[in-house]
Amino acid sequence: MASVSINSPVAQSGVRNDEPGALGRAMLTTRGLIISRILFLAAVLLTWEFASGRIISKFWLSTPSAIMQTLWKWLHDGSLWVHLEATLTEMSLGYVIGCVAGVFIGLVLGFLPTVYRVVVPFLGGLYCLPKIALAPLFVILLGIDLGSKVALVAISVFFLILYATLDGIHDIDRDLVQALRIMGATRREIAMKVLIPGCLRWVFTGMRIAVRYAFTAAILGEVIASNRGVGYLIEAFSGQYNSTGVFAAMLVLVACSLTASELLTRWESSATHSKAGV
Amino acid sequence: MPRGDTMLENRPKPTPVSAANTGGAMVRMQDVAKDFSVRGKETRALQPINLTVNRREFVSLVGPSGCGKSTALNLVAGLLTPTSGQVFYDGQLVQGLNERVGYITQKDTLLPWRTAADNIAVPLELRCRNESRKVIRERVAEMIELVGLRGFDKHYPGELSGGMRKRVALARTLIYEPETLLMDEPFGALDAQLKLLMHDQLQRLTQQRKMTVMFVTHDLAEAIALSDRVVVFSARPGRIRAEREIPLDRPRDVFKVRFADTFSRLHEELWNELKDEVVKGTDV
Repeated sequence: MASVSINSPVAQSGVRNDEPGALGRAMLTTRGLIISRILFLAAVLLTWEFASGRIISKFWLSTPSAIMQTLWKWLHDGSLWVHLEATLTEMSLGYVIGCVAGVFIGLVLGFLPTVYRVVVPFLGGLYCLPKIALAPLFVILLGIDLGSKVALVAISVFFLILYATLDGIHDIDRDLVQALRIMGATRREIAMKVLIPGCLRWVFTGMRIAVRYAFTAAILGEVIASNRGVGYLIEAFSGQYNSTGVFAAMLVLVACSLTASELLTRWESSATHSKAGV
Repeated sequence: MPRGDTMLENRPKPTPVSAANTGGAMVRMQDVAKDFSVRGKETRALQPINLTVNRREFVSLVGPSGCGKSTALNLVAGLLTPTSGQVFYDGQLVQGLNERVGYITQKDTLLPWRTAADNIAVPLELRCRNESRKVIRERVAEMIELVGLRGFDKHYPGELSGGMRKRVALARTLIYEPETLLMDEPFGALDAQLKLLMHDQLQRLTQQRKMTVMFVTHDLAEAIALSDRVVVFSARPGRIRAEREIPLDRPRDVFKVRFADTFSRLHEELWNELKDEVVKGTDV
């Protein structure tokens, strides 16, 4: 993921830049890296612009310039915001519901091993089910508006976070728990001081991964049945064989997804002590 | 779920202090044996042993690797239940975890997400002690000084060396002054000078706070310098091969005590007992 490599120590510090890379060659300096990336992007865009209409028909491939114009137009007439708002609302509502429920149920099951043993096969079955298969059901139950998409996003996120939380709890060293019990810690204190902080890293990792799943679920929900949203744009434009519109909508998605993922990475590294080598 | 099942299980109430029993035995192991089953095969770790540790006594257990010394401590802490026999603590049968002991295990059990200082503070944050923030901060600073970790209080366990982590674990146990200390090779990872300093501190603390100590070590000299009594275990399956009182005066100068005649005589005697067992132990 590009957003991660920007944060890597090699890219950030000026000191380590001369270290050889995997092949023994010197690594790029920070500025060199940025320039190289810009050049790479420019080369791709120029090739695309050139090839379109000459090698492959514009009808299929569109051109970067046309895509930018379309985006510009959407920005100006405000239509982008309507769709973006719809998608982001579905996504964030579903994401928050899924995360809260996932962590909560995960902790409850982590603390109640007997209940966990009873329900684990059923959870496993639901987890394996491709969530998209539920989309038509949600449309029937909740209509083609916000509700069905939120439900689809929430259920996709829920299982990821649930399993991340459970894995986190099961990964905790039992000796830590015993050490605190010998000191006289109560169940509640063990939960607060060992189990919850111990699974936090797993939860954060799950939450970061879940962002992409949340987007996918929101877009899929819109593609299946909706009247607004970025997924709706993609569906509507591809129905009209308007490749420029499809590409422009996709670009919006990439931008949103990267931003969300990057924000979560920053939040995670400030909230947990990743450098502690846990 | 292999791990979580016993994490939060209900445990028996901590055994109340029995007032009647103040002078005598703190720990009494009566015909205690322990078997472990490894891949379906029963292995005897500890042959039936009888061992009594008196109140305020410092007893060291020495013996070759795998002789059941750590098993003995685990039994006293209530982390293991004996296959046969009974373990009494302060006159009461040990059932479930024994919360009246402080246990410094061989493996350090620091919380990786807490700094050294915050790890040391854990016992004082618990409701059963519940000290004010100010008191905690002061006592943690004191302990950090005591175990020679000044300047490392803000480091995470992952950023500390093995010896430093050991000292954090030691500080975390000493800070709440449990009436009995179980120590499993606490100074194994320390360099010789630091070890002597820690011996001095440990002796002072345990004398001052009137603690009872069961101390497992490989180091015979360490055992003699610190203890009132040294117990030599045989090679696996462990049994008690020899016991010697250490008639050196308290408080001892842990630096100079090694040059006393009594010390070298005891060392030789105990080494003669231990030698054969170490040879046997390494054969296996």
